[in-house]
Amino acid sequence: MSNLKRSIRSEMWYVLFILPGLCLFVFAVVVPLVIGAKYSFTNWDGVAPTAKYIGWDNYTQALSDSDLWAALRNTFKYAILVTVLVNLVSLLLAVLLDSYLKFRKVFRTVFFMPVAISTVLAAYIWSYNYSNGLPKLLSYFGVDMTSPLGNPDHAMMALIVISIWQGVGSPMIIYIAGLQGIPGELTESARIDGAGAFGAFRHITLPLLAPSVTINLLLVLTGSLKVFDLVFLTTGGGPAFSTQVISTFIYNVSFNSAKAGYGTALSMLFFLILVIVTIVQLAIFRRREVDL
Amino acid sequence: MKLTHAVVLTLITLLALIFVFPLYVAVLMALKSAKETFDSFYALPSGLHLDNFVHAWKTSKYPSAIRNSLWVNLISVALIVFVSALAGYSIARRNKPMYKFIYVLFLSGLMVPFQVIMLPLYKMGKMTHMINTHWGIALIYGGFGVQMGVLFYAGFIRGISLEIEEAARIDGCSTPGIFARIILPLLKPVTATVVVLNALYIWNDFLLPLLYLQDKAFRTIPLQQYYFFGQYSSDLNLAFAYAVMGLIPIIAFFLFMQRFIIKGIAAGAIKG
Repeated sequence: MSNLKRSIRSEMWYVLFILPGLCLFVFAVVVPLVIGAKYSFTNWDGVAPTAKYIGWDNYTQALSDSDLWAALRNTFKYAILVTVLVNLVSLLLAVLLDSYLKFRKVFRTVFFMPVAISTVLAAYIWSYNYSNGLPKLLSYFGVDMTSPLGNPDHAMMALIVISIWQGVGSPMIIYIAGLQGIPGELTESARIDGAGAFGAFRHITLPLLAPSVTINLLLVLTGSLKVFDLVFLTTGGGPAFSTQVISTFIYNVSFNSAKAGYGTALSMLFFLILVIVTIVQLAIFRRREVDL
Repeated sequence: MKLTHAVVLTLITLLALIFVFPLYVAVLMALKSAKETFDSFYALPSGLHLDNFVHAWKTSKYPSAIRNSLWVNLISVALIVFVSALAGYSIARRNKPMYKFIYVLFLSGLMVPFQVIMLPLYKMGKMTHMINTHWGIALIYGGFGVQMGVLFYAGFIRGISLEIEEAARIDGCSTPGIFARIILPLLKPVTATVVVLNALYIWNDFLLPLLYLQDKAFRTIPLQQYYFFGQYSSDLNLAFAYAVMGLIPIIAFFLFMQRFIIKGIAAGAIKG
């Protein structure tokens, strides 16, 4: 009997330890998620204390909402381009900065520093550079340039450039850490057996780097699918809907069009899409990894 | 070999210059008057003018914004460290399904995008009068940060040998005693990681303060910058002086803490 009492007492401490964290998590994530799911079935306007239950109407409306599909297309276009470009650039930088190069510590700091700068500042600094700095610079070479952010054909690309500037730092660090975990003898012996520098990289380094590639692709892709600040602060989704992504679209629907019920339905669909993307990605990449 | 080295070095220097260029323009703007900028955009300022900074300091409530940012950061990060270390210990040391389930729950929470819970959070904040308070936003950051925090702490504590703990238990030490006397002193490296990663995120976060700290007296730096740029869009030299003032603390923090940030990101990748 006293044994049982003691084991309950000892277990109690572990439960008490986990409770504060669990409560915070439930309060900040689980409860809002449940409330959101509930509101997605109503016509709530975001302000009124009450809302009417309207069943699956929001969801059926979403499926035929051409704006939503346009926003989704933009989101995926942005996310895929950013994911591919950021990973290519950061992998290249990592390979160069992991090696013998002079001043590599200084370079690492330079490429990594934009990570620390808030998106608010990055957005303003880059908008200004697009509208004044770069055109002034290019005018010395006789090239005319107007801000790409104001042009529906170029605005998306201009945003992607800013994202690369801010985004290569962290993946670069992860790649460098991955490269440092690969024993030098492996590539050396490949070189002795007659493989070129690129061949050794392609057949030895890259397969062994697969875990880093997986995690970087996953982090950058899910991160850029969620992009909000940058778009909100530079273009606000314009010009002509050309940079409207899913999260700015949800924000506009919820706060500016006073269709909060519909907005939460859209965000539930967005959540579903993110979960599917994550699972698919993990399934594809985990299988291809090589163990050392 | 020497030639390739030189070529690579040149190319990477060029790329580094491109990376620094936007910041250079910002600092240049901040140091020049509107007239100087108009006369010649890229010329260096004629002298060391700090007028823009003085003016921006006076008009912008910069000290109050810094105070708010520091305060929000301090409470949030302390909360995250406290709850994550405790929960991480339970999860690392107990093998029961309940703890495993909670662990998986924390991890799946990482997939929930902020936009999905944004509206309900705003409504909850209004109902509970958490809007325009520092503790309100800190509770939310706590709930977000604990997910990653538990991941780090549980992983780290699993690597600590059980033998010392068992010896202490035989000597009659209770669970809180073991945690405080044996585990806690060993947690410094992982705490450094959790602190810098969360501090960086919270310091720069924009959307949650936009919803939760709209009142002038409570705005954090990014939010204050957002309003300041909107207000002084015609006097960009002044706005950029303010931007540079906002950059200085975070760049200093970054250069100072770079080692820990790098370690944290690399460690996070392996855990993930």
